[in-house]
Amino acid sequence: MKTLLFLALAVSPAVAEETRQVDAHEHGVGQLDIAFDDKQIAIELHAPGADIVGFEYAAESSEDRAAVDAAVAKLAVPLDLFVLPAVAKCSVVQASAALESEDAHEEDHSNHDKEHKDEHADHADHEKHEDESGHTEFHAEYLLTCAEPAAVSEIKFAYFDVFPNALELEVQVVSNTGANAFEVERDNPMLDLRGMF
Amino acid sequence: MIFRLAFGSLMARALTVGMTILAIALSVALFLGVEKVRTGAKASFADTISGTDLIVGARSGSVQLLLYSVFRIGNATSNLSWESYQDIAARSEVDWIVPISLGDSHRQFRVMGTTTAFFDRYKYRSGQSIKLKDGAVMSDLFDTVIGADVAATLGYRVGDPIVVAHGLASFTEHEDQPFRISGILEKTGTPVDRTVMVSLEAIEAIHVDWKSGAKIPGKSTPADVIRQMELQPQAVTAALVGVKGRLQVFGLQRAINEYKQEPLLAVLPGVALQELWQIVGIAETALIGVSGMVVITALIGMMATIFSSLNERRREMAIFRAMGARPRVILGLLVLEASLMAAIGAVLGLVFLYVGLAIAQPLVDSAFGLWLPIDAPTAREVCVLLAVIAASAIVSLVPALRAYRLSLVDGMMVKI
Repeated sequence: MKTLLFLALAVSPAVAEETRQVDAHEHGVGQLDIAFDDKQIAIELHAPGADIVGFEYAAESSEDRAAVDAAVAKLAVPLDLFVLPAVAKCSVVQASAALESEDAHEEDHSNHDKEHKDEHADHADHEKHEDESGHTEFHAEYLLTCAEPAAVSEIKFAYFDVFPNALELEVQVVSNTGANAFEVERDNPMLDLRGMF
Repeated sequence: MIFRLAFGSLMARALTVGMTILAIALSVALFLGVEKVRTGAKASFADTISGTDLIVGARSGSVQLLLYSVFRIGNATSNLSWESYQDIAARSEVDWIVPISLGDSHRQFRVMGTTTAFFDRYKYRSGQSIKLKDGAVMSDLFDTVIGADVAATLGYRVGDPIVVAHGLASFTEHEDQPFRISGILEKTGTPVDRTVMVSLEAIEAIHVDWKSGAKIPGKSTPADVIRQMELQPQAVTAALVGVKGRLQVFGLQRAINEYKQEPLLAVLPGVALQELWQIVGIAETALIGVSGMVVITALIGMMATIFSSLNERRREMAIFRAMGARPRVILGLLVLEASLMAAIGAVLGLVFLYVGLAIAQPLVDSAFGLWLPIDAPTAREVCVLLAVIAASAIVSLVPALRAYRLSLVDGMMVKI
């Protein structure tokens, strides 16, 4: 994977001033950002493809595609992943989930992709942006509204049951009392938020 | 009955018992005092900055960014270019942005270039604004506002001229451009107290005659000419950002962290503070460990005194036995005596703590900017006290069991 990544960078476009940066990417560890504002809760999840579907190459086989589709469908139901106390009476206003590759924004990948040995035949129907040379990441955004937001004293992470490859989530929380960071691990999938209100 | 006996027995040996109680009291006071300082330091620390949603600077570590931008400890790895600053300022999520430009000093204090918005936006101790004790915020190019500690240490008043030194530990001073103190801030207990604040343009102004870090010989641009110059900064050190809605914080953070044109870092101050505290927290654990050891030492000392008293109390124990006291009563008596000593020690320790706090509070506040609240003991502290008493009862079981056995033997001996 490393040499492929290097190759991808090495053959990148010939613009001299192009900035090169590759974000850190750790398998098993995802990021979860939670913002509380009045009755609204915004949640953003970024998780490595390895955590969610177990692979990070482009989904070519129908099996892999089905796995990606199933994962996206699961990610689109936030309250099944992050269980809020029932007394808070939360409901989902908006939920979106997608798979994106690390270099999803760059357009010129099709050029050097051809250099890779076997997959170029399938590139025509490469509808998703993943690229076998980069890491892939699932990205989900949710907006919830709660009748009793102060009752969200804890969040239970069913996420770890749904995605058995995920080990840890780095959580950042902002509320009107300020910001805080937590680490939620598979062994103890609970987030105590009592200090945040 | 047994209680009266225990109390009477303690009174009879007032001096040794008094010393033991004193040792326990001091150790308890130390333990609780460390606890108070620890929680007080943590709270003061967390109170350093509030109301700011994001701190933006060159990409480094979140702790480092926090240290140099808020605590003025260490230096920036690189600066934040003015173009990027403008780009961030123009984003729709941004409600306000305050630039910070560091790098010069005045005596031992850092000079910070910023805008007057800093005084409205910088908040500490859960939302308190910084207030001017005297004078006004800077209105002229060569005006400065100084923190309370700067004023107190150097004896400055509003209207005094000051000269800013180039760099941090240098002797070359920007003598041609003396500043005037326009305002002095009230004490906040934050690093702002130890900062000299000037406008962003002033930082540029004092470097007009400087090329690559050294002064151009013989060149001195008069202040009037400098005032006419375009003093647009090329870069700032960091920026404090407030967002319009809290829900947008993470989106903006991600956008800044993934900003293609320049490697930047945006951190949530609360998160960075917590990360920093996790590092500092190791020392905190060590402190608790040491003071815990002191409590244990005091308890072992008490055990030793009880042991040595057993010999001289052999006759007493034998009389108790002769009077019909069961060996269990002897055991109970000794444990009760120990628990009484510990209880008195704990209460006395609490008294020491509060007397000490009352004396130290203003001193610590002025010396370290650390506010130690005097509150009723917390549940945790009460638990500590109860644990000390329980521990002493357990510890005293060792000599008490010996007395238990001895009293049987002694009771059967013809001669003592």
